[in-house]
Amino acid sequence: MSNINFNKNSVMAIGVLLVMGIFPLFVDSAWLAIGTTFLVFAVVAFSQDIILGRAGVFHMGHAMFFGLGAYTTAVLNVHFGWPILATWAPAVLVPLVVALLLAGPIIHLRGDYLLVATIGFNIIFIQVLQNNIFGITGGPNGIFGIDVVRVFGVELFEQTHMYYMAFILLGITLFIMKNLDQSKFGRAMFYINKDDVAAQSMGISIRYYKLYAFALGAGIAGAAGSMFAVQYSAVSPEAFDVISSIMFFTIVLVGGSASLPGVLLGTFVMFVLPEVFREFETARYLVFGLAMILTMILRPRGIWPVKFGNIPAFLKKDVK
Amino acid sequence: MSEYLLEVKNVSKFFYGLKAIDALSMKVKKGQIYGIIGPNGAGKTTLFNCITGIYTPEEGQILWMGKEIKGTAPHKIAELGILRTFQTIRLFSEMSVAENIMSGRHIKSKQKWYNGIIHTPAYYKDERENWEKVGELMEFFKLSQYATTPAGDLSYGVQRKIEMARALAAEPELLILDEPAAGLNENETLELAHTIKEIQKMGVTIMMIEHDMEMVMSLTEYITVINFGAKISEGVPAFVQDDPIVIEAYIGIDDEDES
Repeated sequence: MSNINFNKNSVMAIGVLLVMGIFPLFVDSAWLAIGTTFLVFAVVAFSQDIILGRAGVFHMGHAMFFGLGAYTTAVLNVHFGWPILATWAPAVLVPLVVALLLAGPIIHLRGDYLLVATIGFNIIFIQVLQNNIFGITGGPNGIFGIDVVRVFGVELFEQTHMYYMAFILLGITLFIMKNLDQSKFGRAMFYINKDDVAAQSMGISIRYYKLYAFALGAGIAGAAGSMFAVQYSAVSPEAFDVISSIMFFTIVLVGGSASLPGVLLGTFVMFVLPEVFREFETARYLVFGLAMILTMILRPRGIWPVKFGNIPAFLKKDVK
Repeated sequence: MSEYLLEVKNVSKFFYGLKAIDALSMKVKKGQIYGIIGPNGAGKTTLFNCITGIYTPEEGQILWMGKEIKGTAPHKIAELGILRTFQTIRLFSEMSVAENIMSGRHIKSKQKWYNGIIHTPAYYKDERENWEKVGELMEFFKLSQYATTPAGDLSYGVQRKIEMARALAAEPELLILDEPAAGLNENETLELAHTIKEIQKMGVTIMMIEHDMEMVMSLTEYITVINFGAKISEGVPAFVQDDPIVIEAYIGIDDEDES
């Protein structure tokens, strides 16, 4: 057996990444912006999937962490004059710490109860932004005039620059997701998700791994938020409301919980397709809603469900 | 350290005022195969749930190597070396057999918090060692051919083996088996008895609830009989078997036919 893993899936993955890599060469600036936002949303969807798809926590306030990252970059840059590069670390750390503080007291709640609690957090977050707390969030209008990224005196201001930055961010996210899935941390999340009583009896602390998922998911969402703020050079509350949280939640379920291709496909279906059919205006949402309902009936585990059994080759030698 | 591995002292557990376990006491020695029998609903599984931390008994003490463990969280109990199987099989049914057994390696794995994000040489070594251990267990339980099969797709008998392999993967001091022979055919039961003996030889102490009297009498070294949550008899199999109180408790419950 060859050590190089040239199976169908890796060929397809390389193909998809290649298409995404050369995409900017063939499209106008409007599509480039859609492409960039797609990449950013995919990162947020993956981070939601750590919490929802892996740890199995019904978390419907993820846009809050996305927004916290975006506002951290916006506030530090516009009000305090930090260069964008310097805001990246805080844009990850602020949502991460907030996630731990907020999720800590509610993490023991089950399914629907926790879902309502996380929606509550998201609503409060939007209220705080709109009320221009400490005079730094800019109220309902948000914050304008966010700088571009400068590296060694070079200004990365073009849409193409934005696209490739988002592309690199997605690459880093996928790298982390792969590493997570092949570690005791990712596995512990799956065990808790599939049977929490059995997982506990194997010595797995439910609280620790659910909080781990929350912290990691919030941190990655924050990085995506920072990218989002830079792409539009502005942030405003409505991009991070409960409706956005519902979208990220739905992307994971429609695409396929814990499935990397599934969540990417889910983001494409839920975000890019509506843009493609823009000419049909609101009629597209009718079709769209129906498609969501049908997916859940016909493919309850998502369009591209997760496949388990990803074990080292030496254990497969006896498999018939 | 205490002479006993596990001591249950006057433990009572109530459900809404109903006594599910009534001042129960027992002592398990290291290396023993300890049997717990009794009619359905006698409180046997409740006792196991108290020992493994799923329930916290209202009264009494549970001592592990002389130290109180009552009220300790289930995952901490597992870390102490008390691992269990379930009467109603609880596997991660969508996941492969190898991944199921790997869950038992959780407490033995030395991966650091950042290994969930980035892998280090120490991670690769640890990961490799744990998968190798999973491989050994799959060979011991003759499960290697099912390594990548989802556990939920396999027969009842095979699933019981996966559960035992998963618990053993954690290298327990005490293995708690809740009706390991339930749902098994005659051949599978014989194989199970042999396996339990093998596990004992590894130095693992075993506590089991079982309805298959033939198996209990031949395997166990000491038995506690429970009825309505209270101990009605205890002793070596030969004694318990002939105890009139035990016989009375079992009248009308023909276990030979039931299992």
